[in-house]
Amino acid sequence: MIKVLFFGPIAAATGEREVSVAHVPGMTLGSLKETLTAQYPEAMHLATMMAVNGEHARDLALPLADNSEMAFMAKFSGG
Amino acid sequence: MKEAVRIQQEDFSQDKEVAALKGSSKRIGGIATFLGCARDFSEGREVSAISFDAYGSMALSELNRLRSDAIEKFGLLDARIVHRIGTVRGGDNIVFIAAGAEHRVAALEACRWMIDELKQRVPIWKKEITPQGESWVTPHP
Repeated sequence: MIKVLFFGPIAAATGEREVSVAHVPGMTLGSLKETLTAQYPEAMHLATMMAVNGEHARDLALPLADNSEMAFMAKFSGG
Repeated sequence: MKEAVRIQQEDFSQDKEVAALKGSSKRIGGIATFLGCARDFSEGREVSAISFDAYGSMALSELNRLRSDAIEKFGLLDARIVHRIGTVRGGDNIVFIAAGAEHRVAALEACRWMIDELKQRVPIWKKEITPQGESWVTPHP
């Protein structure tokens, strides 16, 4: 399974802070994003940043290992 | 001595943070600080409170990396960063950054660089709570 985390405006838009997505062979950051966009189109529209296992990720072709922790994040507004 | 980089709900003491920074090295000749605090007015409306959400583990990791990067980039002797989460009200402290260097230029430039980078790199989000409702903040450039 892939653990997907939502925070701030995206958590508000999805109504969830965490969802699990079944891992499939060949899964990439991009394919997971497509899956979630179909499920949460408004929320994922806000997702301009991504992280895999707590590290910034930008390459949609990045393969995702099973048990990864993903975050799709809106633009940060701390400080 | 508290950690040099922290994310916490409770308020912080600027005096204690600066004292901790000064205590780290007697070679420090200049300390620059930035204090971010909550405004009670934004985009033409009253703000009752600001609520922060964070990807805690990643935010702490990014803040620690930010401090290390600043120390290396500007040749700092030490730096400290504290960011609050939870809910704050107008006038409350939000974030404190302090940079200590042998000379003022490095300290001032590093302090400015750290708050600018924090806004780009650290997964924290703020929501303004107003009498008319709540809204997540769209970042300023």
